[in-house]
Amino acid sequence: MNNKWLEKNTFHYSDFKDLNRLVEEKAKKNLKISLCLPTLNEEKTIAKEIIIMKSELMTRYPLLDEIVVVDSGSSDKTREIAREYGADVYQATDILPHLEQFKGKGENLWKALYITKGDIIVYLDADIKNIHHRFAYGLLGPLLLYDGIKFVKAFYDRPISIGKKRMRPTGGGRVTELVIRPLFSLFFPDLTQLIQPLSGEYAGFRDVFERIPFPIGYGVETSMNMDIYEKWGLDVMAQVDLDRRIHRNQDTKALGRMAFVILKTFINRKIRLGLIDLKDELYEEMIQYNLVRDHYEPDIFKIEGHERPPIIEIPEYCEKFKTDRQQLQKFQEA
Amino acid sequence: MKNILEQLPSLVDQIKSLREIIITNIVLIGQTPAPTFREKKRSKLFMERLAEFQVDEITTDGYRNPIGIIRGTDSSKPPIFVLAHMDTFYEKDRRPNYTIKENAITGAGILDNSLGVGVMTSLPAIFKELDIVFESDIVLAGTIQSIGKGNLRGVRHLLKTWPTPIRGAICIEGVELGRLNYYSDGMIRGEIGCSISEEGNRLREYTPNAIIILNEVINEIMNLKISQRPRSRIVIGRINGGANHGKLAPEANLGFEIRSDSYKVVKNLFSEIRDIVEGIGHRHEANINLKTISNLKASRLKHNHPLVKQAAEVLNTLGIKPVSKPTESALSIFLSRKIPAVTLGITYGENRYMENATMEIEPMYQGIAQVIGVLKAIDGGVCDEQ
Repeated sequence: MNNKWLEKNTFHYSDFKDLNRLVEEKAKKNLKISLCLPTLNEEKTIAKEIIIMKSELMTRYPLLDEIVVVDSGSSDKTREIAREYGADVYQATDILPHLEQFKGKGENLWKALYITKGDIIVYLDADIKNIHHRFAYGLLGPLLLYDGIKFVKAFYDRPISIGKKRMRPTGGGRVTELVIRPLFSLFFPDLTQLIQPLSGEYAGFRDVFERIPFPIGYGVETSMNMDIYEKWGLDVMAQVDLDRRIHRNQDTKALGRMAFVILKTFINRKIRLGLIDLKDELYEEMIQYNLVRDHYEPDIFKIEGHERPPIIEIPEYCEKFKTDRQQLQKFQEA
Repeated sequence: MKNILEQLPSLVDQIKSLREIIITNIVLIGQTPAPTFREKKRSKLFMERLAEFQVDEITTDGYRNPIGIIRGTDSSKPPIFVLAHMDTFYEKDRRPNYTIKENAITGAGILDNSLGVGVMTSLPAIFKELDIVFESDIVLAGTIQSIGKGNLRGVRHLLKTWPTPIRGAICIEGVELGRLNYYSDGMIRGEIGCSISEEGNRLREYTPNAIIILNEVINEIMNLKISQRPRSRIVIGRINGGANHGKLAPEANLGFEIRSDSYKVVKNLFSEIRDIVEGIGHRHEANINLKTISNLKASRLKHNHPLVKQAAEVLNTLGIKPVSKPTESALSIFLSRKIPAVTLGITYGENRYMENATMEIEPMYQGIAQVIGVLKAIDGGVCDEQ
């Protein structure tokens, strides 16, 4: 196991708080940076994310070139509010509309690759209550200042109370500790060094994201970690401590469904790599039970686990990014 | 001055172009909790933000009030103060979470006074962007320990120890746009505590009830003669006590405030309440005490003071109707030190002391323009003539 990675490639956001330096580095490397916020009914938090990022990382320090919201069909005012505060807003279904339509976070992230113009893309969840611009510049720091790093993941203090006034941070969330970390320990011990492999905030170079498949739902973070690790190795990855993230709590059943998708993504990856030989197909339904009056009723969720191919395989994408990609390639060779 | 007034309406749109920076400051400040006596984190953030906006000098005074100074062009002119209190009424020990909608921001403490502090924090960026300079130094003071038991200690200390004369001051409050406070009532805020010792009452036929005793106190306060001139009043604002429905209350507390144009009347009324409390304490053999939480002397600018007149004109030019009422705030500390000052509100809002306190965004730009207008008026000399 490459156990030096944790020490070498783990940063704190404050390592990158000299924003002038990041702006200089960005200009020197002639890079464009896009911030993408995937949304579904986020009217309570979306404006705050856009305003703070725009104020601090566009108006005051020209680090971001665009803020793009890709929405899965919100029924609240998410799109209206995002537009009001100056983000470029798209409905996922309007992007590459001739393709079969899916609904999910991974779908939005994948489609964002088509409509954004950045050489680097920062993905942030849109439900962060204590949003601060460190969430973006912390992730950009290693990408701009360390040449070998191509993909950066966030991790946080997830404080839990241990007595009246004391708090202590834990590692990942419940799904991380109960599902992902045991799986990584069994199959990819190197990846256990990711403190929070399921965190929804990450950034990377376009030429990394465009070459990996994107599961359309919850499995996107798991597959991303595994695919980048398999293709380019651990050293292109880094993680940044973004301090504290206050997030929406999910109930155990919702986490159960999340774990189902993640397990399925993981097992499919292992089959593809020839590391597991399953004698039968995996089922596509997550079955949970509710006690209704005096009997149990099943709640059945059909989770098909569709996956988008690397977007570089989509002709429209190749057409659109031909020029920009060549420029980036030249820069990287230089 | 005419020139400034002419420019004010166009200033509103220019300020609006800095919307993201202003709202970001309000949200970052507001989401950093600052209950009275625990303003340290917010003070630190305030100073960090001022440093980021390249304010010339950032420091704290001996009482840890955070201060930023924007240097003026004429060092012979005394400084002008802009002040917003750092502490919020919302005292629960958790992080407020603000929500921004199309034209409103909601979150605990936003109206009193995260909005005021957020706007004050944005002033250096606004001055820079709009190319606004002053002859006087502008002192941006975030005062701590203002509310309730804080008793305006921060601002009292700041002004007591400030080494130079002060040309004039603007106190910023979140709401309501249109308020133009230039006088303050005399005020004493008090608390009456009543506790029944179980031991002392074991042999008595009837054990006293702390709530009933305070009820007697209230009844007697209600019977006090309150003068119409000088205009005076007593507000019974807070009461709590008791343990559960079926148990005689062993403890109870009553919070009240006496206000009057005349501080002498306030003191007399307080003394009468003291007599009531002592009398009832003897009668019931209860442990009952009266404490002063905070006090202010009445002070005022004349209604025809040039600062008041010019401030009213600034508001009128922006289409805001000035409303003058007494206020119990930092203003009175400036006025009692003979420093001309006014308090201005920034926007409209609702649910001021609730968790879902909400401010309107759009009128805020007018509110900020009025602050700049009044600052320009002070810089132009309206406080120098008296």
